Amino acid sequence: MSCSPFDLKDYFFEELGGAERKEVEAHVHACKACREELSRLRLTGTTLLSLREEEIPRRIAFVSDPIFEPSPWRRWWTGFWNTPARLGFGAAALLSAALVVFALARPVTVQPARLSQAPAAQAATLSDAAIQARIDQAADRAVAERTRQLVSEVAAERREVAADRQRLLLVAAELDFSDRREQARTVAALEYGPPRQATKEAK
Amino acid sequence: MIFRAVEDGDLIRQAARGNVEAFNLLVSRWEKRVYNYLLRLTANREDALDLTQDVFLKAYQNLRKLDDGARFAPWLYRIAHNEAYSMFRKRRPESDVADLPPAATETGITLGGSSVFPIELSLAVASALQRLSPEQREAVALKIYQGFKFEEMAEILSCPVSTVKSRLYTALELLKIELAPIEARGVS
Repeated sequence: MSCSPFDLKDYFFEELGGAERKEVEAHVHACKACREELSRLRLTGTTLLSLREEEIPRRIAFVSDPIFEPSPWRRWWTGFWNTPARLGFGAAALLSAALVVFALARPVTVQPARLSQAPAAQAATLSDAAIQARIDQAADRAVAERTRQLVSEVAAERREVAADRQRLLLVAAELDFSDRREQARTVAALEYGPPRQATKEAK
Repeated sequence: MIFRAVEDGDLIRQAARGNVEAFNLLVSRWEKRVYNYLLRLTANREDALDLTQDVFLKAYQNLRKLDDGARFAPWLYRIAHNEAYSMFRKRRPESDVADLPPAATETGITLGGSSVFPIELSLAVASALQRLSPEQREAVALKIYQGFKFEEMAEILSCPVSTVKSRLYTALELLKIELAPIEARGVS
């Protein structure tokens, strides 16, 4: 069992910091057992290193073959995914998904109800006199509008009656003209007498 | 004229943009180390070579996922570790990888004669390594032969640093006992 302040193997493998190394070196200088233990470790290390590295039997080399190349899409995706942008992308995707879900799941608000609230709120702020004035104004506007409609209707009826009268006068004039022409024909027939054949039969 | 060695980071950036030649240069720098690491794990040259090729192919296909070029070595060895254990599982799906017996390629070497020649020493070390559990052997390979720090080893093996240290120190104690007779005969 080593009495070194730090593990001799850590020292041997150079895994200690500068101050720790100095402590171990000072201890090993004074402690025969630890000095021998360290010597054994070094001897074992040297023995192990007598096993030399072998040369590789066949050198490895690659040729530029598209079959070993990742596709452009995969290269882009790998490049993109290995950047911090993936966090932003993921957050944006989550936010988009949340917005879509919220938009689909949200109840539809009734728009007319909101509109009807505005005049009600406005009316609450008006005095009775103002309301009465507005009612009077609205009534006047309605009466005036109705009067205009009635006047225009009466005028239209008058124009229609006048047109009927004109048409009746024309018909009367036509009838009068026809009557007089009929009378003139009767007079002419009396003046010229009956047809010739009727005269022979009389003989 | 000033020449500046091309750093691994530069090659990684160029390779990630599809420059195969840059990746080949990267491979030439690392293939021997990865091959030897896999050789320690598998104790079989053919397996180690096949796995090394697979490791670099996977590395090329996934190089764009490597955020920090300075972490290339642990990242590459992590792939190598996964490939090796994937092979172990395919071959022995019904048993735990930790219980697999060591491969027989370089085991069973008996040392004769009064002096230990370098080749015999290497064989003795290989034999001693094969008597370790796969996890202990891998810890030794990563620390002694590849020179990784405990933190990097934990990353490669996907386990806590305490576990890494425990495996390595246990392995070291076993190796000390195993190699003591050879060391007594003299290691130059």
